[in-house]
Amino acid sequence: MITTVTLNPALDVMMELNNLLPNQYNAVDKVSKIPGGKGINIAKAIAVFGLDTMALGFLGGHAGHFIAENLRGYGITTNFWHIEKETRTNVIIIEHDNKIHTLLSDPGPAISQRDLERFKSIFSRVMSQTRMVTLSGSLPKDVPDDIYYQLIKIAQKKNVQTILDAHGVPFERGLEASPYLAKPDLRASNNRVFNKQIDSQENAIKIAHEILDRDVQIAVISYQDTKDIIATTEGIWLAESVNQQVINIIGTAEAIIAGFAIKLVEENPENIVEIIKFAMACGLASALTDDEEFHTKEDVVKCINCIKITKLK
Amino acid sequence: MLKSTTSVSPDCRLEEVIEVMAIHRINGIPVVNEEQKVIGFISQHDIIKAILPNYLGIINSSTFITEFIQLSKKLKEYANHKVEEFMKKSVITVNEDDNEVMAADLLIRNKIHHLPVLRNGYLVGIVTLRDLLKAMIEEEDNYEEEKTQ
Repeated sequence: MITTVTLNPALDVMMELNNLLPNQYNAVDKVSKIPGGKGINIAKAIAVFGLDTMALGFLGGHAGHFIAENLRGYGITTNFWHIEKETRTNVIIIEHDNKIHTLLSDPGPAISQRDLERFKSIFSRVMSQTRMVTLSGSLPKDVPDDIYYQLIKIAQKKNVQTILDAHGVPFERGLEASPYLAKPDLRASNNRVFNKQIDSQENAIKIAHEILDRDVQIAVISYQDTKDIIATTEGIWLAESVNQQVINIIGTAEAIIAGFAIKLVEENPENIVEIIKFAMACGLASALTDDEEFHTKEDVVKCINCIKITKLK
Repeated sequence: MLKSTTSVSPDCRLEEVIEVMAIHRINGIPVVNEEQKVIGFISQHDIIKAILPNYLGIINSSTFITEFIQLSKKLKEYANHKVEEFMKKSVITVNEDDNEVMAADLLIRNKIHHLPVLRNGYLVGIVTLRDLLKAMIEEEDNYEEEKTQ
């Protein structure tokens, strides 16, 4: 089983209209509600491939129940710890005329020490049935910065492989536990890792090396929309998407993580080129849709031939 | 099957178990060990029966009102006790591959409302009679649709 962790999930409410008129009554044409959060999006992508997936994290209130039920509809097993406060709601206003998306982001509830301990207890138990766990996204209020470090250590005690996909201090603290794969969330950190700007392939490779120096097996740096550097102890590869028109890059990072999780569980880790190609194809398949996610295995398979892998070192 | 593995550990306090049931909107919950294997089950019914054995027997008479105060006092008294004191240790379960007929049979024959679902001994979900009825009526609807097409 692959387990995903989303400590700060959200209910994304998308409101579509032609043109938003400030300070006026606006009748919305369409409203959709979908569960949001990096780990949740990773779980949905994995579920497309029919693999056993479990989603963990914190949920609360009606929004929380909606999210849990929605995920089970995808065939995902849920084992969230429910808190008293309502899960946060993000509102996304989509203006069709101007092609503008405006995101109003709710900071979300704070997590008490007691709730955190209960979550860690669930996490520890679930690791007994897990082969790979992904730890992604921002932290809710009052959760300590070293939470990913703590969770990686718990997982490692049960021989579970870990993927870390975060930014800032939680990412850097998490690296100290040497996850199997680490991917900094550059969008959330304005392209900065270890206080350095990643604005070139050269810088991306340097950062990848710094990540590997922390005993991480695979470092993934998505330094441009269609280009990624992947580094392992065996070498460094550049992965590029060719011949495709990207529509929406939101969600591609989660799709890439899902691709890595799926292939690392299925494949021999020595087949690193196949693993990279598949993961990048997942990312591209997601980027070619308006929906921020791919919907079928075929979507991904079609993209595999659009990925070019070059070994740099 | 409801793909939810909400569960508690045996050392969870009774007060907390009640809170989990309330927040998750469930009236029974599996108790699992550190390996996520089912070792017990606790329902609201089990709690009341353990705390005040005669209460359920008098619920249809007016004396339930005074006994309700007793129940409330007893619950507070036992709030910090571990759930393993009250849980059913002999749990009827079903395997993931077993069919709905078998699940329904187990629920009805044993007069229980919840059936933990296992795969290789690990908890992977839960089946309730309500889920089965829902699945059956939806299957009936699909059958009617196919007939009219």
